[in-house]
Amino acid sequence: MLRKDVNDLLTQTDSGTPMGDMFRQYWIPALLASELPEDDCAPVRVKLLGERLIAFRDSKGRYGLMDEFCAHRGVSLWFGRNEEGGLRCPYHGWKYDYTGQCIEVPSEPDESGFCEKVKLQAYPLIKIGDILWTHMGDKEDRPPKPTWEFATVPAEQTYTSKRWQECNWLQAMEGGIDSSHVSFLHSGGLKSDPLFKGAKGNQYNHADKKPVFEVTEAEGGLYIGARRNAEEGHFYWRITPWVMPSFTMVPPRGDHPMHGHFWIPIDDENCWAWSFDYHPTRALTEAEVQYMRDGHGVHNEYVPGTFRPLQNKDNDYMMDRDAQKRGDTYSGIKGIAMQDASLQESMGPIVDRTKENLVSTDNGIIMARHRLRKAVTALRDKGVTPPGRDPAHQMVRSVAVVLPADQPYAETCKEDLAARPGQKHTSV
Amino acid sequence: MTDQTRPTLLASCASASTAAEARFRVNYPNSGRRRSRIFALDGPAAEAMFAITEAPWQGAHFLAVGSGGDVDPEATGADDLPLSHPDGTGAKLSEEIEGADVVVLISSTGENAGAAEVIAREAYHRHIMCGGLALAGTALANGRGSGAPASSPDSDPTSHVVNTLRPFASILVVARDADFIPAMLNALRA
Repeated sequence: MLRKDVNDLLTQTDSGTPMGDMFRQYWIPALLASELPEDDCAPVRVKLLGERLIAFRDSKGRYGLMDEFCAHRGVSLWFGRNEEGGLRCPYHGWKYDYTGQCIEVPSEPDESGFCEKVKLQAYPLIKIGDILWTHMGDKEDRPPKPTWEFATVPAEQTYTSKRWQECNWLQAMEGGIDSSHVSFLHSGGLKSDPLFKGAKGNQYNHADKKPVFEVTEAEGGLYIGARRNAEEGHFYWRITPWVMPSFTMVPPRGDHPMHGHFWIPIDDENCWAWSFDYHPTRALTEAEVQYMRDGHGVHNEYVPGTFRPLQNKDNDYMMDRDAQKRGDTYSGIKGIAMQDASLQESMGPIVDRTKENLVSTDNGIIMARHRLRKAVTALRDKGVTPPGRDPAHQMVRSVAVVLPADQPYAETCKEDLAARPGQKHTSV
Repeated sequence: MTDQTRPTLLASCASASTAAEARFRVNYPNSGRRRSRIFALDGPAAEAMFAITEAPWQGAHFLAVGSGGDVDPEATGADDLPLSHPDGTGAKLSEEIEGADVVVLISSTGENAGAAEVIAREAYHRHIMCGGLALAGTALANGRGSGAPASSPDSDPTSHVVNTLRPFASILVVARDADFIPAMLNALRA
């Protein structure tokens, strides 16, 4: 249960809100780099943290992210002409460079200097890995560039997708740290999904449906350990890191690529679910990449030409009651990603947490909310920099491991839980 | 009617998950009052716990294991455990735990593992969920820690606390600060 005022505090991210200010402390994923594939390509509408923006790549390959609307008459610059070092409004020809600075107002004399007085709100856009990242906060307080391992390994070792999720970011993100749902909702996928199946660890998952949880605070967020019985005198641990505000990783399975998510608010009732797979020591195989493109693992299929999932609320997520009865899927919904999204969207655009009935196994979620609330209020009231900005906080990995029963995971797996470039991940 | 029939009203399909439709959700109290029993296993844990007992809880009982709590669990019956209420009056474990929905053990020093086992055993026999809260920050502040991260090899007091609770807790939380106690109990409707 969460009081309404706290729920509002954590779920509202528009400009000027405390949680919005917190998200504006970080570099966040804005677009896939493939959305702006070449110089002078078509601009792309982007809505982030309740701000409608336009992204473009100019004639010199510079990325721009700025207010979507022309300062003259409010026309959407999506209709603009991306040419000769700037984006030109097609209505009266006003032109802007990648910093949002107006560089031409054809109706005014060049000598008047009028255009120098016009500048659109703009944010930096930088390419790291497959992703274009932006920082929408104070430029005098720009954080170090992102160091997430999935975005910094060689290109052939990583794959990223994104999908539109039609609910608030927090309830989507909470799914990423809610380890107790995996034994139910995703139980079918462990047997059939090509990016999960075959791992020895899956046997422990199937054999022990009642994991014991251990939640430990970390500098950047949390570790949520789920413990299941393994061989005599041993436990199988699946350890999920959460880094503030909205990065999670799924514990790996065998030698399959590791995967995880970013949950980024579009507005208070929509978010981007970013999903990545990477392998720290080898290139992804052609088959693995094809599986990801086909929507397996943590990815999904799309309505052609969009980032909207093919299974969505308008088609009841293509519910398959026969598959549910057969046990192919637990909920009747195909695919890990849409199994989560369908249920999270069904809660409503912003779930009313005053009505929920949490139990002890929800303590990962309880602690995450607690950490977010403390960080948000410390930033708002005292200007304290929140956890997760420090590059060291971003150097995390998930872990799947079998340990002797008397060995606690946090101590024993300290090195395994840290990103170690060029070294294999710890997985069973 | 065939299986080709599909819902036609907005509220009959997944598209109903809008803010406008949310106002038609049935509004009623969907759960009864919970009986939560919170046990502080040592002095600093009791101090942190008793600091928040005045809040308007919904039926939670707060109990502290007193001196003499370092018992042999094999030789200690439920009602032999020294327990006290916030006002200092004594309490019987069997009466407190009967009918409880959840038991939470709070430890900050790792002392009184025997008492933890007695309480957890009584909870187990009654099929009551038993959770553990290790106050790592309090353990470090008590002088034996180095300021290392929670549950790191260098934070011996934290490991000691965690190891005390681990055998008995179905969910174990290692928190740096005591302010997680009210946050957790509020979330659990204690």
